[in-house]
Amino acid sequence: MLNYSNVIENDKSYPGLQMREIKPVMKLIIRGKKRQFLSAVGKSLNLLLPNEANTSSRSDQLTALWLSPDEWMIFSNEILKSDYNNYDVEKLLNKNICKTNLGAVTDVTDQFVLINLKGDKIFDLFETGSPFNFNDFKSKKGLVTQTILTKIDIIVHNQDINDVNLFVRRSFSDHLFSWMNDSASRL
Amino acid sequence: MFLINCPFCGEREQSEFKAGGEAHIVRPKQPTELSDDQWAEYLFMRKNIKGIQFERWNHIHGCRKWFNMVRDTSNDEIKAVYKMGEKPPVK
Ligand SMILES: [Zn+2]
Repeated sequence: MLNYSNVIENDKSYPGLQMREIKPVMKLIIRGKKRQFLSAVGKSLNLLLPNEANTSSRSDQLTALWLSPDEWMIFSNEILKSDYNNYDVEKLLNKNICKTNLGAVTDVTDQFVLINLKGDKIFDLFETGSPFNFNDFKSKKGLVTQTILTKIDIIVHNQDINDVNLFVRRSFSDHLFSWMNDSASRL
Repeated sequence: MFLINCPFCGEREQSEFKAGGEAHIVRPKQPTELSDDQWAEYLFMRKNIKGIQFERWNHIHGCRKWFNMVRDTSNDEIKAVYKMGEKPPVK
């Protein structure tokens, strides 16, 4: 882990909406196409990658998000120690996926900022700045989408009802978070 | 503003996509044997017709995959979307 500082200094709370950064959380992007890739990841992590579009899967330790037909994000469910940047999961995948030429593993822990949103106003906030149709999305636990929010690329994971994980690139996160606060204050 | 049916993610708003120009342009097998005019023809010249056009699009703010689209450029009606490498489903 390269970057220890918080992008988002304070948790924010509005009627029906709470927002906070969750860190440190391990985040990996894995890519591969072959069937052996899918089974090797499944065996290594004890977690089947979702192959249906816009869905996710979850084990005790990890969550896997579908990003594209050959790309997934894996992140740790629990918060890790902040002085620890050796991920056993990454090592294991490097051994079973990269060394065997089945696919690629990239550590994006510091590239993406994870903002967790809670409350019944989450999608009212998103609808003020995203072209994505959240009508069906919001009631289905586990759905995932990549879209834009106020012209910034985001990954949205509907972790639970009224409990959403939002991933945004670190360089955009400060601006996005201040926009979200501004928008939330007018809901 | 119109909806595009990404072959991988489903129906999304146009602003998530980027147009990538005319589809099904084949790179010449032996570029060195072409004249400059022929190479320029391959590199730069595009049909840009009013009517049914075959185009490449990229779901750049979504799955980031390329795909093909048949679009009527006169009214933006999308006739079909299909994956790279597939034959166009309409003429
Ligand atoms: Zn897509």
